[in-house]
Amino acid sequence: MMKLKIALVGCGQIADGHAGEIKKIANAELVGVCDIEPIMAEQLAMRFNIPAYFSNFSEMLNRCRPDVVHICTPPASHLPLVKEAVTAGCHVYVEKPLAMDYDQCLALVDLVLSSNRKITIGHNSEFDPPSLDMRKLVEKGVLGDPVHIESWFGYSLAGPFGKAILSSPDHWVHRLPGKLFQNNINHLLNKITEFVKDERPYVHATAWKSYFLPKYGDIRDDLFDELRITIKGKDVSAYGTFTSNVKPVAQFTKLYGTKGIIEVDYNSRVVTVEPGAGLPSAIGRLVSGFSRSKAYAKSSFQNLWRFMKNEYHYFAGLNYLITRFYESILQDKPLPISTTDMLRISWIMDEIFRQINNNKE
Amino acid sequence: MKVLVTGANGFLGSKLVEKLLSLTDYEIRCFVRSDQNLHKIIELSKENEGRVEIIRGSLLNPSDCLLAADGIDIVFHLAAATSGAPAEMFLNSSVATDRLMSAVISSDTNTRIVFCSSFSVYGTSTLPVGAMINEQTPLEENPTARDIYALTKYHQEQIMLKYHREKKLPLTILRPGVIYGPGSSGISGRVGINLFGLFLLMGNHNLLPLTYVDNCAEAFVIASQKSTFQNDIYNVVDDNLVTCKEFLHLYRKNVKKIHYIPLHYSIILILSFLCEKYYAYSNGQLPDIFTRYKSSSIWRNRNYTNNKLKSIGWKPGISTGEGLTSHFSYLKMAGRQDRM
Repeated sequence: MMKLKIALVGCGQIADGHAGEIKKIANAELVGVCDIEPIMAEQLAMRFNIPAYFSNFSEMLNRCRPDVVHICTPPASHLPLVKEAVTAGCHVYVEKPLAMDYDQCLALVDLVLSSNRKITIGHNSEFDPPSLDMRKLVEKGVLGDPVHIESWFGYSLAGPFGKAILSSPDHWVHRLPGKLFQNNINHLLNKITEFVKDERPYVHATAWKSYFLPKYGDIRDDLFDELRITIKGKDVSAYGTFTSNVKPVAQFTKLYGTKGIIEVDYNSRVVTVEPGAGLPSAIGRLVSGFSRSKAYAKSSFQNLWRFMKNEYHYFAGLNYLITRFYESILQDKPLPISTTDMLRISWIMDEIFRQINNNKE
Repeated sequence: MKVLVTGANGFLGSKLVEKLLSLTDYEIRCFVRSDQNLHKIIELSKENEGRVEIIRGSLLNPSDCLLAADGIDIVFHLAAATSGAPAEMFLNSSVATDRLMSAVISSDTNTRIVFCSSFSVYGTSTLPVGAMINEQTPLEENPTARDIYALTKYHQEQIMLKYHREKKLPLTILRPGVIYGPGSSGISGRVGINLFGLFLLMGNHNLLPLTYVDNCAEAFVIASQKSTFQNDIYNVVDDNLVTCKEFLHLYRKNVKKIHYIPLHYSIILILSFLCEKYYAYSNGQLPDIFTRYKSSSIWRNRNYTNNKLKSIGWKPGISTGEGLTSHFSYLKMAGRQDRM
């Protein structure tokens, strides 16, 4: 079996997820890691038993000769790192957001495609078990034709990454055009763009800073933590909510179709279908609650079965995406996420940030 | 004499500032990352006009480090991450330490360092039951097999030792046991863990290596005055220690009744073995929180000595009995306030 040699650059929090999942994949070998801060590269190599670590990206490429590079650095560095990686003949897995703005994303994708290399973006939640279950239901025709999507993304600023952002005005998130949103709403938008297929849909965005955030007297005061989006394509519309204040922190999608409503809860990994009342009057209303309970129980037992079969890992979606990406390289299959979708999301993000920043001014 | 205290608004840091003000005539520069718990330092600053300077910044920022180290004779380096994602903990412990020491080296002054390490750096897993932990106890040989806090403290100490070895940085290391007192959280993990509302008493009859926060802070003051800074190492632990079971009983009597199950050490090892096997079988579906290596490092009975620290003039001013009374009073009061 041919094994891909994998290298990783950027040894922050998400690198742990990548290193852990790459180590589980039989046809891949993590040969080196790199971070501009040598201690960060060292600690990742030490904890995941990786043979080499570097603080110089060119040196890693020269010494390790990887087939694939996972780029887990802040987005401002993605374009130059991708350029160097593809020039060295590597395929690239780029963490989201792909780059600082749409123009950079376009340049980045062009660079990879013109070098005849492959690329994927870190939209791992698209491949989490509930997303896969939802797709199967849609394929079965349970939804009918999609009409509307509600995509909800709750985020905790009290979590490890949120704390890191708030604790330092030097954190790179403060220098993104879309700040906190830019680092997170890929996961919100890709649930929408799966059904809103238009290249340039209508987008309306409103964002604000909640009164829960403290005053810092520096760049951190520019951080918005609440965002609402409306998107309208030719056939399908969508609402998107990013919230840092609603508790409990929830992440879910509701798909409204001509035949049924599918609810996908990413936290509990429960996927249910609401087919509507099949019986008349009070009986129908009564039975409806039991139908919902049955749907929840069915999905929960499915999860229990997955747990017993050891298919219920936290990074299941990441593992699935990495595996499919490596397969696309080794077996010359299509990319797990099309470059068209990457660019459509990037354009929508630019539009959202443009509107937010215009309103600020 | 001008000294720098990193992590000055932390649990130990703020007490150290208080002790430095009362026991020495040092001028004190407090380096803090956030405004959390800063009120105590601000009060001390007002009470001791001209002796306390407060600098806000990040040890990850080299220019902040240069500013902090400028004109300093002694650095009390207490700043370290105690929780968070592994990468974040390395960043805030190891990388921050490296940047600060780099700034210290680049300054012209002959700055000395008093570094706050931890008991967790000792390699205790393979030691026999009842072994004495002292400054000659070997360091952890397999740090990645330990929990992330132990690993980051070990790594942070290794960085300090590298600067001492390669750059001749004058260094004294203090390794406190479990620091407790008003302001600290309730029950140490060495006593046991709370699992879904039920407390598992893991430490049972093991001695709990406590050091009351005032005693610990005084150890740092004395070490700054009496040690040679030639990689002197001192364990910090009080006299007349209680066992984990005694600690829990006192907690239940003085703070609140909690339901608990005592787990014999052999049961802990069996459970740890099962956790290891499940972790391997399931390819990490659940984290490997318990392993035999970790469990034997934390929950096997040891003895502790503070003879070396006493040899330079330290003695615990607050007895363990007094310390526990004060600690539990604080926890009871804090619990009441939480309910209000």
